[in-house]
Amino acid sequence: MAVDSAQLGIPEDTSPHADYARAARRRRSVELTKGTVAYVVLILFAVIAIGPFLYLLSPSFRHSYDLLTFPPQWLPKSLYWGNFGAVLHQTSYLRWGLNTFIFATSVTLITLAIDTLAGYAFARMHFPGRKVLFAIVISCLMIPTAAILAPLYIIVSSIPGWTHAGVNTYPGMVLPMVCSPLGVFMMRQFMLTLPEGLVEAARLDGAGEFQIFRKIVLPLMKPAIVVLGIFTFMFQWTNFLWPLAITTTDSMKTLTVGVASLQGQFVTNYGWLSAAAVMTMIPIIIVFLIFQKWFVQASMAGALKQ
Amino acid sequence: MSAVTTEGAWDELTLSPEAYKRASARYRRRVSSKGYLFLLPYFVPFLAFLVVPVFWSLWLSFNQGGLLDSAKFVGFQNWREIAQDSQLTTSIENTAKYVVTAIFMVFVLAFLLALLLNRYRRGGNFFKLALYTPLLAPLVLVGLIWQFIANYDFGLLNLILTTIGLGRVNIFGNGTYALLLIVCAEVWRGLGFWTLYFLASLQNIPDELLDAARVDGAKGIQRFRRVTIPLLKPMLLFAVVLAIIANFQVFDTVYVLTQGGPVQSTSTMVWFIWERLFQFQQTGQGYAAAVILLGIILFLTAFSFWFLGSGERRRERKTQA
Repeated sequence: MAVDSAQLGIPEDTSPHADYARAARRRRSVELTKGTVAYVVLILFAVIAIGPFLYLLSPSFRHSYDLLTFPPQWLPKSLYWGNFGAVLHQTSYLRWGLNTFIFATSVTLITLAIDTLAGYAFARMHFPGRKVLFAIVISCLMIPTAAILAPLYIIVSSIPGWTHAGVNTYPGMVLPMVCSPLGVFMMRQFMLTLPEGLVEAARLDGAGEFQIFRKIVLPLMKPAIVVLGIFTFMFQWTNFLWPLAITTTDSMKTLTVGVASLQGQFVTNYGWLSAAAVMTMIPIIIVFLIFQKWFVQASMAGALKQ
Repeated sequence: MSAVTTEGAWDELTLSPEAYKRASARYRRRVSSKGYLFLLPYFVPFLAFLVVPVFWSLWLSFNQGGLLDSAKFVGFQNWREIAQDSQLTTSIENTAKYVVTAIFMVFVLAFLLALLLNRYRRGGNFFKLALYTPLLAPLVLVGLIWQFIANYDFGLLNLILTTIGLGRVNIFGNGTYALLLIVCAEVWRGLGFWTLYFLASLQNIPDELLDAARVDGAKGIQRFRRVTIPLLKPMLLFAVVLAIIANFQVFDTVYVLTQGGPVQSTSTMVWFIWERLFQFQQTGQGYAAAVILLGIILFLTAFSFWFLGSGERRRERKTQA
């Protein structure tokens, strides 16, 4: 018996429980240290992620001349609300907000309408040239606005009947942004996951294509449409380059362009600037906290589209 | 009885070969014309605002003017000019530096955080939300927020430095610091996204594989190196290409934070194009640079498609074998 246990390498300990308990204790303490380090790292990065937003509040409650004291101050001595009032009344902030809303909403609605139609055609209809057309759309997937900025500007500013009026108009801002191939791609991929028999059965029953699309496909597409809608809206209200290029008057700027324009060439009122940034962030953070699941899904959809 | 009626109905339904051909051709035509009708609302803006501008962009690179006046054909002059333009080389270099640093930093940090969140689930939701928050800010605001971090007089960074008794740093006066600032802004914003992305991929790894490795006696690091990494490799490479394409177009933060300065040390590709088109009125050079950007992005896109395709081909070969 003793020989056997020696061969197996099991120590013939008189108090196996004590040894086992010691090993378990050591293991527990190692795990505890690891866990503590892990949570310290996680908390550190959570602070890094949120901290800058919170710090933004500090200058927004101070006079801009108050910001230049030495040594610099962490917190305002007294709450000064004037920056918020000044941004609301002395700049076109509310107008920029309205413009942003009109711009992003129009792009989103038009995108949803035309992308679902095109996605359905690519996924479930049969016609010659379908593959070629889809390949053309996909090959434009990554084309950056910056690379076609000049032609876009020329096209929009020379649409007949507008004579240079495409600049500083809503259609001029909206229309060039509605043709992103990503939405068509997403809609097609999602429609391919719907069983083909559904559409075929409706076709055999004599339903027209548009009827099938509206009565059968669209209701099933709701989750994908919501995701694409949030994704498009988020993408467009944060859009900067195109609104910057196509708007020249203060009253047509979007929020991103307007807030950036508060940063003057030579003198900047940092109190106003931080107040405007705070006012822009608060609504979006509230909306995000309510609909967080959809947001995360929508932002992932952009990347996980393979 | 019923068999007879069915047969009779069948006879009625059966068409002669010619009639069948005609009928099916009619059916196909009907479906196909509808298909084009469904595509039309998308293809009109798609052609007008994406396909045509791409070719127009090529044509414009041989022209000057055109934004406010009519364009003038100048042949290869623009290309000769930007070939000798040191700012373009600097811009491409800066963009490359920016892309490499930003992606390296954000991927390493995000992967680390994803591993931690994958291992330590308690409180995971809070950390995910916190890390995701910066993604809500438009890039312009991200730039402004980093302005408030880096500002010489009241920036958070200098506040911390003076509080712990060190001197202040003038970030906007130093080219390396300024570029690093733009990198940091992007890393700060992108960290949450890539963490969630990697976390999703980590959770996609089947537990059986890791368990099997554990049973075979593989230690934690071995499991990570021999199981997790090889399984994540295709996803990682694809993410790198995506991130390169996205980051190559950095503009908003440059516009808000540094305007390309100091002395062009943060001038990037898109900033260069913007400056030539809308600030310097040297439109020809802007047009040519836009074509270069287009070429780079199309090359990267083609590479990523080829890469995805090769992955699929490999998988097909495996299933056949």
